[in-house]
Amino acid sequence: MTVNRVRVIYQLARADFLERVRRYSFLVTLGFTLYFGYLGATGRIVLQLDKYRGAHNAAYIGGFMAYVTSIFLSLAGFYIVKNSLDRDRRTRVGQILAATPMARISYCAGKSLSNFAVLLAMVTVMAVAAVAMYFLVGDHSGFHVLPLLSPFFFLTVPAIAVVSALALVFETNGVLRGGLGNVVYFFLWNGLLLLGVVQFFTQTPHPFLDWTGGFTLDASLAAAAKAAYPGAVIMGFSLTVGSLQDAALHIFQWNGFQWTSEILLSRLFWLSIAVGVTLLAAALFDRFDPARGTPLLQNPFAAPLANEVADSTRTPIETFSAARLVPAAQRFRFGTMVAAEVKLMLKGQRWWWYVVALGLIIAELAVPVAVRGQILIFAWIWPLLLWSAMGTRETRMETSALIFSSPRTSARQLPAAWLAGVFVAMVTGSGCAIRFLLAGDTGQLFAWLVAALLIPSLALALGVWSGSSKLFEIVYLLLWYIGPLHAVAQLDFMGVTPAAIAAGIPKFYLAATIVLMVIALAGRKRQLRT
Amino acid sequence: MQLRIDKVSKQYGRSVWGLRDFTLEVGSGVLGLLGPNGAGKSTLMRILATVTGPTSGNVSWNGTDILREPDSVRAVLGYLPQDFGVYPHLNAMEFLDYLAAVKGLDTKPARRRIEELLVMVNLSEVRKRPLGGYSGGMKQRLGIAQALLNDPQLLIVDEPTAGLDPEERVRFRNLLSELSGDRMVILSTHIVSDIEAVATDIAIIAGGILVAHAPPENLLHTVEGKTWEWTLSSSELPEAKQRFLVSSTARRADGVQVRVIAEVQPAANAISVAPTLEDAYLKCLSAHRAGAAA
Repeated sequence: MTVNRVRVIYQLARADFLERVRRYSFLVTLGFTLYFGYLGATGRIVLQLDKYRGAHNAAYIGGFMAYVTSIFLSLAGFYIVKNSLDRDRRTRVGQILAATPMARISYCAGKSLSNFAVLLAMVTVMAVAAVAMYFLVGDHSGFHVLPLLSPFFFLTVPAIAVVSALALVFETNGVLRGGLGNVVYFFLWNGLLLLGVVQFFTQTPHPFLDWTGGFTLDASLAAAAKAAYPGAVIMGFSLTVGSLQDAALHIFQWNGFQWTSEILLSRLFWLSIAVGVTLLAAALFDRFDPARGTPLLQNPFAAPLANEVADSTRTPIETFSAARLVPAAQRFRFGTMVAAEVKLMLKGQRWWWYVVALGLIIAELAVPVAVRGQILIFAWIWPLLLWSAMGTRETRMETSALIFSSPRTSARQLPAAWLAGVFVAMVTGSGCAIRFLLAGDTGQLFAWLVAALLIPSLALALGVWSGSSKLFEIVYLLLWYIGPLHAVAQLDFMGVTPAAIAAGIPKFYLAATIVLMVIALAGRKRQLRT
Repeated sequence: MQLRIDKVSKQYGRSVWGLRDFTLEVGSGVLGLLGPNGAGKSTLMRILATVTGPTSGNVSWNGTDILREPDSVRAVLGYLPQDFGVYPHLNAMEFLDYLAAVKGLDTKPARRRIEELLVMVNLSEVRKRPLGGYSGGMKQRLGIAQALLNDPQLLIVDEPTAGLDPEERVRFRNLLSELSGDRMVILSTHIVSDIEAVATDIAIIAGGILVAHAPPENLLHTVEGKTWEWTLSSSELPEAKQRFLVSSTARRADGVQVRVIAEVQPAANAISVAPTLEDAYLKCLSAHRAGAAA
């Protein structure tokens, strides 16, 4: 690699890093990381192996905080840094870069390094929090720097290197760069974590399959717990957020990792995966060629854009007159506004999107009662990318100046956009609603209605305040995954689990809907003021 | 019809001022807002279009405070921002239909007006094509059409001719002239020839401050008898640039023809020529900069 190429990579990474850290959103993210660190440092996040936990010595605190950081950044970190190429597309800096002799590999290496640097800043915050944690809740058995900080270096750093590279490769792919990529990554993350979980339960630690390094730690902790309490049966582990009232837990000593060559090699292996993924990104990178990508598309289910339209033929200068135009008349109709929002929301969707949506509606009508809820769960993830555009479209498409200079935007356009979202929810879930009606199941019908109102409210509130569809995609996906899909009643906003209906959970979500709408309205008013 | 801008300031961060104590009264006709890049033109336009608020000061439309009641002006406002986007999957008809709904227009007359506007801006033949395939100039023309959608009493256009070809520029200037009869048009640009063609009143802005506000004739009067042209050698040009306010230069077979603004004849062979608005604008800016430096 030539000196010049190194300089190019450094400058690319530096410029991208500075652009990011000088943004308000970085401070918010860092603030959130600090809060997370505070929770850890004050013992409000607890790692338990069934009824056991490690004594709060320096090694355990370091290992535990590195573990929390790895898990947190392996998911949230992806969404935090997956905007590097997108920014160059939007700011059109990419077009300038594309016209330079810069190699694709240099560009991708620079971007991957910038992603890494952003996440490393967060790791540093958590490492400082780990030191604080030792002095706040540690057992004062001796402050040993290496056992405290080495897990961050050996476990977390390779994990965030992989996240940085994955975020980049998703951005270089036309289909994965938008909302679908956010969904795909969530399931990929789940799958990769599952590899570690399998190791834990099969009692065969395999560090090369442990991306975050967390399960290598779990295995080491479990071994220490069993050594301290012979005959202990450890069936699982959990991270809980709460207070340090763990009198019921058995405490064991864990003096840190033996950094065996196998563990170190496995971490090097994951670092090399990061390098490999960055190379893959370079191979996929379209160098901002508009003919090879669809930069404005957030939704891959939408039809591709047409090639540049040939300009129309000229009409002579004297043939038009503004005075001859039909006079405009003010007569606002809310129905027209809602119809326009529905059209805007659905315009450009491909035919097979409608076919799948129709198939789900038919399935809702036809399947046995026992699986009806499962169909509804999938019917209400299908329009995710339609909902996630709500509240962000004006910012993303730069139409805010046109729309916000129109009369009564908050009172007209925002509620109409919300109703368009409700309409999509109601139509895609209509099969279930018909069955609830026919069966006279008012409880289920109420829960269904609340969910149909809640989803667009959540989308609007998060979209208007964040200006990005990403936040809703992640929050909704998490809620959908933990609540309805894994039948956690408190988070079952669709009411598909009997326990949620019995506990009156829909009433809570109805209140949440109202709160979210107020938040969305306040956000829009703020946009109009600034 | 009156727009009153009273001591309007806009501050960005702690020390950057987009506008400072800007005061101006505007009546019907075309107000040309001239100024160099970064002068605060777009900031002023956004405030008048109620897209952003000032840090201090008041703006009223026909006596109504538009900062307190922005909808009073939004109902009669047509706004073409300097930069704006479109929804790439909609076609021109659908996009304008959508904006007509947002602006609260009656559907049927709006639809007819949209069709006519698309003819007017030369987009009728591509009205069914997705906007994602439009060129910059076509998007700009669509922007002009949307600004005229509600037959606005107050039309605010920010750098409207950017991206238009010469023929389209002429069409647009003619359109503005025609529109200005019984309404107020505020045209912001740094292209003096655009203003020269249509403005009935000119405001010059620099560094967020109103430098001059007068009809074009009065501005021209400030450089009457002070605009000179002569030909000199290339080697003499740097000195001339140092000594005089050079308005333009042009290569000639016998040297370089310079046009300067000066109180007295700058050279023995210099001849007095008829001033243009560009000369007046440059003199105005030069005087402002000299005053600011002093």
